[in-house]
Amino acid sequence: MTDKSVDLQTAKARALEESVGAEPIVRDDGRAAAQTWRAFRREPLGMISLGVLVLLTLIAIFAPLIAPYPPSYGEAVLKPPSAEHWFGTDSLGRDVFGEVVWGSQQSILVAVAASAIAIVLGTFVAVVGAYFRRLDSVISVVVDLTLSLPVLPLMILVAALVGPSTATIIAVVAAFSWPEVTRLVRSQALTVVRLPYVDAARLMTSSPLWIIGRHIVPAVTPVIVVSVVVTASRAVLSAAGLAFLGLGDPNVWSWGRILYEAQQSGAMSSAWWLTLFPSLAILLLVLSATLLSITYNDARNPRARR
Amino acid sequence: MFVLPRLGRGLLTIWFAVTVTFLLLRLLPGDPALAIASPNMTPATREVLLQQYGLDKPLIVQYGIYLWQILHGNLGISFTQSIPVVDVLMQRLPWTLLLTGTALVATVIVGIPLGVLAASHRGGLIDRLVQIVGVTGQSIFVPSIGIFLLFMFGLVLGWLPIGGAYDENVYGLAWYGSVAAHLVLPALSLMLVQLGSYVLTMRSTLIEALGEDYIVLARANGLSYRRVLWKHALRNALLPTTTLIGLQLGFLIGGAVLTETVFAYPGIGRGIYEAVTQLDFPVLQGAFLFLAITVVVANMLTDIVYGFLDPRVKKS
Repeated sequence: MTDKSVDLQTAKARALEESVGAEPIVRDDGRAAAQTWRAFRREPLGMISLGVLVLLTLIAIFAPLIAPYPPSYGEAVLKPPSAEHWFGTDSLGRDVFGEVVWGSQQSILVAVAASAIAIVLGTFVAVVGAYFRRLDSVISVVVDLTLSLPVLPLMILVAALVGPSTATIIAVVAAFSWPEVTRLVRSQALTVVRLPYVDAARLMTSSPLWIIGRHIVPAVTPVIVVSVVVTASRAVLSAAGLAFLGLGDPNVWSWGRILYEAQQSGAMSSAWWLTLFPSLAILLLVLSATLLSITYNDARNPRARR
Repeated sequence: MFVLPRLGRGLLTIWFAVTVTFLLLRLLPGDPALAIASPNMTPATREVLLQQYGLDKPLIVQYGIYLWQILHGNLGISFTQSIPVVDVLMQRLPWTLLLTGTALVATVIVGIPLGVLAASHRGGLIDRLVQIVGVTGQSIFVPSIGIFLLFMFGLVLGWLPIGGAYDENVYGLAWYGSVAAHLVLPALSLMLVQLGSYVLTMRSTLIEALGEDYIVLARANGLSYRRVLWKHALRNALLPTTTLIGLQLGFLIGGAVLTETVFAYPGIGRGIYEAVTQLDFPVLQGAFLFLAITVVVANMLTDIVYGFLDPRVKKS
């Protein structure tokens, strides 16, 4: 690669970092974590987001206690919200409130599972690449190439080939999310690897795995935390997008599926409650995750602390 | 020449997209022949197609044949329409380009002044408001905003058409009018979800640029704040925003697929939705490659524009 394109790449990386937040190097020892938490607690927006996420998780866990599983059909078809059906009913007379409550399970499961896989894979590739510089050039080219492709159409192709199921969605979303994690973590890992204490560690042991596990991964943990949240919220949107195009699991309720069925039945335009409530659920989950990561980023940055 | 490396990079990306598609189709569980020949074809037709793509040969030979076919613009036959996939997609491509192009231009035209406004009122009410709108916009599910706009302006107010790309039986100037009217809501949906990243990037880079020494110097020389802001700081802050276009193109295309589905807009995205329902794999594969090439070409164009905006990139 020529100097010019390297120059452009750094400029691009900087531009993206701007949108995610700059990465000050903070060694994550106990004291720093406590300081971050103290700063975080002072931010009402961050605490509210955390509360909303906890609430949504509780709804997902205790869904059976909150609403009965939506039956395959009901008597009252396309009824607007009422005391009996809080979120109205759909074109088959099913309770939309029940669908949204049960749908939270799949949406949160996909977000957690897909981002967990993507984070482990992405961090591993990033850290190994940063440590073994020879691998790094290959890794960064693959990551750059993947990131410059339109991911949703690729996910659609794979999900259609393999067949719609929750496992497929998790695998597909994870498979195309890890390069983003690698890109975020890699830039931080590259700075850490050059620090003197890593050189000192090299003198003490010959095991690269020990150095990576003991010294590099802990130093990039804050970036990992941020990318967990970013990846999870992207995963929610991707999974909803796949479901909206008819590639969701047909046997499990998800927020994307409610929207898909509203579109398929042609009731999307007349029955506003069919689309409003699942849309709000997606917005609530993604927005609170995004705000959480922004607040966390500010809280761990000593320069931004008040 | 700084254009040539960009061209090489673009070709590399397209080769990567083709190879990934090939590997996915052949290595995933499921019948690899599905990507080329429908099980519903007559056995003879199916056999001819499978032979044409060499599905009885070793993987590496298959790969060679696959590359050869694609180089000759052969992406297979659509199962449902029985015409070449390239023809199906070529009819749809202009609509997708029109929609995404309009949305992109609108996002930049609205996003940059909003970012400048927020940065120059840093910490104030306007700044807070712009940030909230930006972050919320990034978190909205694309179809949600499309459905809302469709409901509001298409049905309740009845100002704009609710779907399609143009009116039937309208000719001449009126036809262009109807195309524009059909474009407003889909482009607006795409713009609203894209806007956040542009505004927030513009804001933070401009705030950074305003803290530079040359800005202080310009102010000390007696230039007005407005002049320094718009002439000196903005020029430098525009560069990361230009790179953002390249980074966001993939998301823009993904958003277009969903938006076209909501508005029954006859672009490639709507084609994908229809191909999914009918399990038309050649169209799905072709659509991905078409969109990948679109993104690569657009990316090359922004890179070249970047070179003209920032002489350092061209010279170095």
